[in-house]
Amino acid sequence: MLTSNPFAELAVFLPPIAMQVYIILMIVAVVIGTVWDMLHKSSGQYFTQRQEKAKAAATTELSGADKASLAIRTIAVDVATAGEFCNVQRRISHVLMFYGFIFYLVMTIVMVFSYPTNATPTPAMIPLLWNIGVIMLLIGGYWFFLFLRVNVAKDGQAVFRLVPADLFIVTLLGSASFAFIWEIVQTTGNLAATKIVFGLYILFTTLLFGSVRWSKLAHMFFKPVVAFQRRVEEASGASSLPAPAPSSERS
Amino acid sequence: MPTFVYMTSCDGCGECVDICPSDIMHIDPHHRRAYNIEPHFCWECYSCVKACPQNAIDVRGYSEFAPLGHSVRVLREEEKFTISWKIKFRDGREKNFVSPIRTTPWGSIKSASDYEAPSQEALNSQELAHEPDGLNIDELPALSRDQLKLGVV
Repeated sequence: MLTSNPFAELAVFLPPIAMQVYIILMIVAVVIGTVWDMLHKSSGQYFTQRQEKAKAAATTELSGADKASLAIRTIAVDVATAGEFCNVQRRISHVLMFYGFIFYLVMTIVMVFSYPTNATPTPAMIPLLWNIGVIMLLIGGYWFFLFLRVNVAKDGQAVFRLVPADLFIVTLLGSASFAFIWEIVQTTGNLAATKIVFGLYILFTTLLFGSVRWSKLAHMFFKPVVAFQRRVEEASGASSLPAPAPSSERS
Repeated sequence: MPTFVYMTSCDGCGECVDICPSDIMHIDPHHRRAYNIEPHFCWECYSCVKACPQNAIDVRGYSEFAPLGHSVRVLREEEKFTISWKIKFRDGREKNFVSPIRTTPWGSIKSASDYEAPSQEALNSQELAHEPDGLNIDELPALSRDQLKLGVV
């Protein structure tokens, strides 16, 4: 099961072109949602103002090499290892979800476009990576959803009392969970059950990518840019924070 | 001067929610970030400012004496045991302060839940929880009956 392409089996009741068109529609939905979100919150305007303010307040001018070094550090620390989180458990959970989501997404696109039917055999590594991605996503996601959400862990809210901030995690978990269940059900050969679970998978996936305007999916694009800008501000002396203390004040 | 949160710097760790003695730091249901739900009830103890690992909480001055253009920013450095304050006035002047934040290692103070629940006998006693051990003394000073006098001395 882990090494067979679940999308190739879909051809029994769904032409490959349908799934390909669906993926293109989801990409368009993410682009529209992100642009809409940016316009609604004026985040682009706010970010430009912040950049100009930081440039005016800078005490040292950074060279191209400095900026390249900051960009590498941003990718290595803030993006690749979720360095912004001070809570270790949240950091691990986020890393699991981040890489799980990337594997899940990229391998889905590869399988749907390059290996849409059994006529073109799928290398075992691709569905395996898809399954690893789904499992990482489920472990990190349910860990976060059940135990680490700050409104539940610190603010005393009930686990299943959902708030607007849960839109992203709930649709993400719904998509990954039903993808995994659909893959299992499909191996049993029960076509009716397969169609139902596949329908739920598509429903949650559509909600996930169609709700970018209201969810926090777009943070995948914004966060690295803001993290880089913060590093530039610190390095150029434009940060409004106090300078680090000279030495230990401990007596 | 009450506190407020820079939502773009907050990572939603909830440290401020835990520490606020006035219970006014809560989590926003739309963005899952901390915010001060009622600045008028802020005790201005700045516990949240000092506890925030992201330096995302700052102080908002009252408009009467700290009008627009000022800023109060805080940097906590656990490894140095310091907290630094940068006060920027509206006319551009700056004042910087560095203070020792504590003298024992970060995280070494036990929270209430780390202690054992008190027995019924302890609950009935005149002493507060974990006294006198928590005060690092053997016994609390107390007057004996013969030392007490009636009336005004």
